[in-house]
Parts: sequence; structure tokens; C-alpha cells
Amino acid sequence: MRLLSAPFEPGALASPRGSAQAYAQVGGAVALLVAAGLGTQWAGVASVALGHAIASGAVHGGLLALGWLLATDAAAGWRGPVVRLGVTMVLASIAARLHPLGALAFLLMPGLLLLEAWRAPRLHAIGLGGARPIHALAGLAVGAFLGAHLLVTASRTFGYRLQAAGLPAYLSAVAYDAGANALSAEWLFRGAVFSMLWRRWSFWPAALLTTALSLLRYLFDPALPHAAEARAGAVFYLGLVGLIACALRAWSGSLLPGYLAALAFFAAYRMLAP
Amino acid sequence: MIALPLALLAAVALAMVVGDQGPASVLRHLYLVPTLWAALTRGAIGGGVVGALAGLLHAPLALPAVERAGLTSQTLDGLLSLGLPIVAGLLVGRLVDGSRARAARLAAVLAIQRRLDGPEALDDKLVGVARELRAALRARRLVLLVGADVRTALLASVPVGTLVDPDSAAAFALATGQRVSTADLAADPRMRADEPISSTPVRALAMPLVSGAGVVGVMAIEWSGELSRATRAAAEELALHMGLAVENARLTLRQHHFAEELADKVSVATARLRELDGAKTEFLSVVSHELRTPLTALQGFSELLLRSALPPERAHRCLVYLHTEACTLGRIVGELLDLSRIETGQPLELKPEPIDLAGLIERNLEIFAAEHREHRFRWTASGSEVALRADPDALDRMVKNLLSNAVKYSPRGGQVCVSACPAEDQPGMIELAVEDDGVGIPADQIRRVFDKYVRIPHAETAASRGLGLGLSLVKALAEAHGGRVEVDSLPGKGSRFRLLLPGADRHF
Repeated sequence: MRLLSAPFEPGALASPRGSAQAYAQVGGAVALLVAAGLGTQWAGVASVALGHAIASGAVHGGLLALGWLLATDAAAGWRGPVVRLGVTMVLASIAARLHPLGALAFLLMPGLLLLEAWRAPRLHAIGLGGARPIHALAGLAVGAFLGAHLLVTASRTFGYRLQAAGLPAYLSAVAYDAGANALSAEWLFRGAVFSMLWRRWSFWPAALLTTALSLLRYLFDPALPHAAEARAGAVFYLGLVGLIACALRAWSGSLLPGYLAALAFFAAYRMLAP
Repeated sequence: MIALPLALLAAVALAMVVGDQGPASVLRHLYLVPTLWAALTRGAIGGGVVGALAGLLHAPLALPAVERAGLTSQTLDGLLSLGLPIVAGLLVGRLVDGSRARAARLAAVLAIQRRLDGPEALDDKLVGVARELRAALRARRLVLLVGADVRTALLASVPVGTLVDPDSAAAFALATGQRVSTADLAADPRMRADEPISSTPVRALAMPLVSGAGVVGVMAIEWSGELSRATRAAAEELALHMGLAVENARLTLRQHHFAEELADKVSVATARLRELDGAKTEFLSVVSHELRTPLTALQGFSELLLRSALPPERAHRCLVYLHTEACTLGRIVGELLDLSRIETGQPLELKPEPIDLAGLIERNLEIFAAEHREHRFRWTASGSEVALRADPDALDRMVKNLLSNAVKYSPRGGQVCVSACPAEDQPGMIELAVEDDGVGIPADQIRRVFDKYVRIPHAETAASRGLGLGLSLVKALAEAHGGRVEVDSLPGKGSRFRLLLPGADRHF
């Protein structure tokens, strides 16, 4: 028991968190890539889709990098994994735009992230360990329930129907969620931010602040529908998914159940067409 | 059991769908039943989850109406029906949690009290108490330290096997009386431990146990994951109770020890009183016997002289007997008077004068030799002159008592050696030694030989007469002269009594 075995210094203060330089470097790189993507698109050097893909990949890569820096306090050795993750994310995003099946490249991302994170022991504390089957199943069930609820409510309330864009497009969207959207959200918000806040506060303040931050991220997402009722619905469901993911993270000690819940929810959401 | 409320919830939803009910259907109120059921059985988490599910199940009915008709009283009613189960589930569940926590706390307090009231030793009790506390607080680990110093404090831990660092947070709480609280042990910069951080925070509290006597111990607790405000409050309340309970237990134990100690002392004193009473009874019996023997002789010979006209030789012999027995009686009475003086703390009246020690010893040896023909008496005089100044009567009694003692404890006859010389190891002192080869004195009895009324029991000497006063008188008389008496003895080999008296050039 550490209260009895570890030396105690009543006046000791926490060492300062990682240098702002690391955050500035990541922020600068992401901004540069987003500007490059949008610039090539504006200048007509590349197609609109390609420029958009570069910007989107850079943002998701930036979210992963931010999570990495927060979780490790920007400890030495962050550059290699962050660059590898960012570059792979941008390349996967470009591949997805070039061909519908290119989105399958996103599926490399969870494996690569696990591989990189496994080499950094400090990252294990954010919930990289596996979950018990009951926790994983609960995550899937909750996500599926919320997804189904979304389909029923949206169709009854707004008259939305199931989209008919075809299986490749649907799979492409699901792959994007698995390798970019849900992955970066769980890694950054439930992994780095929630773990950090929960170590200081109790569950509810940590979960509410984490969910509010993740909602902000979605509200700034250009892919979110612009209609007011759709945004209200998004806030409701994404807030619920966020809170449930925090609860699953606290319950299981792992990010996996929350990630599965988000995947199941987005898998249903991708079926919806206005 | 959360499955049954969930099944009931599904049944209500199914009934709403199958019955094609609208948002204002009366059936919607049935959502409250599984919600309250879950809240009552599973607390706030159960009530909140089932209430949220009820709200979500009702949403596809309530929200389209809002979309179609806007905010009217009917649609507002539908929205309220959506939120009501959530609020009801959380509130009722919270009340249930609170009352359960209070009940658990009360049960823990009672259980702790019962444990501490038991007859076991305090450290055994503490293990049981730690187990009760850990269960009541749902803690991962719990340690109780009882004592004012961490190095000597009693330790009870669940699980067992905790070591205490004198610089630890628990030791700090014990020394300062300040509480140490941490939201996560692994990430707390005050705890210098190089252990990997787990994915779930470990909340911890080290709370001093305080009583009227000050800090009497520390309760250290670890929880994995969430620590509710109610649990923290319960821990604080139980720590407060523990402080008083531990102090009470310690006082009770102290009282038990005191009572046991007192009982032991009373028992020893009672035994001593019984022993003294027995000694007094035996003394009276012996005194009566010792007085009766010469008295009977006096009566017999005096009656014979009074009633019969005896020839002069026989009358003279009777008078000699009368004189001898009167002397014996006088000696006994003298000893009793001396004893009385010693017991009342009065000084013995001594009239010191120069003594012819050799003459005194030789006279006594002649008397003893005449009376005890089976013994051989040997007198070894010092080569140099032994000048002694003492009360002649007292010295005579000391010599007689030592010789009498030597004869009594040599029942089968033997040799009695008497010597007198300046003591080699005690300058200025004269040593008079009386040595026999009798039964000797056992080592465990040797310290008692100079006590009053004490006669060392031995099978061969049981028939001999005596008050058990001789040696105690020798000791008292020797000390009154400024000297002392010592004894060396080996059971079966004999004893050697050594009387040390100041020489004529020393005053007493």
C-alpha cells in the first residue's frame, strides 16, 4: 500500500507539464498541412476532394498527436511515433479520396497506434489494455441501441431514410470512422483528456468536461449537417455517446468498449440519408 | 437484479408500439414502474440507466409530435414524460443509495463495537475490525495503525502483509494529526514511488484516529476508481468512531490488566496471611509445649519435695533438677521477651564488657558435650589473642543457639567444630564459626533460616524441639553488636555458621 510504503513529501509539487514547444510544433505542422490541402484545392493544383483529404487527414493526425502529447507530458521521443501516425493518417485519407476501397487504409490506423503506443509504457495508463468480453459486448450493445434509436427517431421525426449510396461508400465511411473519426475521438478525449481529468476529479466533472470538449470538436467538423435540428440531434446523440464512452472507460479501465460503442453508433449513423 | 426491470421496460415499449399508442398514451406512465423498481433495487446507477432507457424509448413518439406541432401543452407533456423517468430514477436511486450507505455505516459501527468488545488481544481484534471497515467502505485495501509511534504501533491490514515506512503518508498523518488525501496515488507528486500508473485512478485517504488522548492511530484506505462523496463522508465518520472505539478498547484492556494484577496481589497477600496465621498457630503450639515441659518438671519435683520427706541427697538432686528447669524456663521467657522487643522495634539492652571468648566457648562446649554424648565437639582456638567486647549474656545466648542449632540438625551425631579468630576478610572483626556435618540446608531455603518462627523441615529433624527463634535472635543480637551472621550450607554435607563481631578496639 503506497500510503504506507512510499516516502511522502507534503510540499512536493507536480513537475511542469510538457513544453509548449512540442504542442506548437504539432499545431504548426497540422496548420501547414491543412493550409497546403486547402491551398492546392484553391489554386487548382489538386482536386477539391484531394485537398480536402489532406486537410482532413492532417486534422485527425493532429488529434492523435495531441492525445499522445497530453498522455506522455510530451516526454522525449514523441516525434517519431507522432510523425509516423500523422503521415499514415494523411496517406490513408488521400487513398480514401482516390478510390472508395482506398478508405480501407484507415483500418491500418488502430493497429499502428497500438503498436506505437505499446512501446511507450506511460501510455498504458490511458486504457490501452484489453477489455473483458462483457465490457466489449456492453459497448457494442449500447452503441447499437443508440444507433438504432437514432435511425428510428430521425426517420419518424424528420423523415430521414436509409441511404442508397451503395455498399462500397458505406464501408468507406465505416472504415473512416474506425481509423480516423472514432479512433481519434476515443484516443484524445476518453484516453488522454478523460484519464487526466479523472485522476484529479471525480467521474461526473471529468466526464462532462471531456464530453463538452468532444462536442466542440464535432461542432467544428465541416462534415456535420448544417440544419439546426440535425445539429441539435447531433449534440444530443454525440453527447450521450461521449458520456457513455466515459462511463465504459471508467467501468472497464479500457478504451475498447467506448470505441466499439462509437463504431456501432456511427455504423448506424452512416446508413442515414436526409 | 436489473434484468427484470429491463424486461418490464421492453414489455411496456412493445405494448406502446403494438397498440400504436400516441405520445399522450396513458401507458407512458408505466415506464415509471421499471424505473422505480431498478432505482429501489440497484440505486442511482440502476434507476438512472433504466430511466434513461425509458426516456429514449419514449423519444420516437414524443419528438415527432414536437416537430409537427411545435411546443404546445400536449407536446410539452410528452417531453416531460420523456424526462420524468430519468429524473425519478436518479432521485429515488440516490435516496436509496444514501439510506443504504447510512445503514451500512451503522452496521459497520455496531460490528466494530462488537469486535472491540471481545476478549481477544487488541491486535487480533484490529484484524477483524479492518475487515469490517474494508467491507463497509468497499475499499480495495485498508490498514489500521494503532499507537502513537509508527515504529511501535500495532498494524492490522486487509489484505495482510503491509510494511510501514517511517517517512510515509500514514506516518505523517500519525505524527501530525493531519489527514492526507489524494485523488490518484500513482500520479500524486507527493508520493515518491516508481510504480507504473494504472489505467484506473487509486483514491486514497490516510486519516488520523483521534480521541480525547490525542492521535491514537491512523486509518489508511485505498479505493480503485470512483470514490463517492458519501463513501468519503462514511470513511471520515468511521475514522472518528474508530478513534474513540480504539481508546475505549485500550482503556478496557488496561482495566482488565489492572484488575488481574490486583487479583494477583490480593491472592499473594492472602497466601502470605495464611502462611503467617499458620506460623502463629504453630508457634503458639510450640511455645506451649516448650513452656509445659519445664513447668511439668517444676511441678513434679516441687510436689515431691512438699509431700515426701526425702533423704538429703535425693532432695538435693530434686533441687538441682528444679534449678535446671527453672533456668530453661527463664531462657525461653528471655527469648520471648527479646523477640517481643525486636518485633516492637525496641533496642536490645546490651551491657558490653571485655569477654574471655575462649572461656565462654569452652564452658558451653562442656555443657553441650555432657548433654549430647553422641556428638563430638572440637574447639580450635586462635593462635593470636582474640579481644572481644560484648554483652556476655547476649554472646552466651548466641553461642548456645549456634551450638544448639548444630546439634539439632545433626540428628545422627557427628562432629561440631567451633573456632574463633580475627576475620581475615573483615579487618577489625572477630569471627566465631560453628560447623556441623548434619543434614544441611537446601539452597532455596537458605535465605529463610534467619527468619522468625522458621524451622527448615527435614524428615530426620522433625522430632526435635524448638521455637524457630534461635537463629533470628542470633542475627538480631549480632546486628545489635554491630556485626552479622552468615551461613554456608550443602544439603547432606552440613552447615557452617559464621558470627562476625567487632573486635575490642572497635565500638558498636
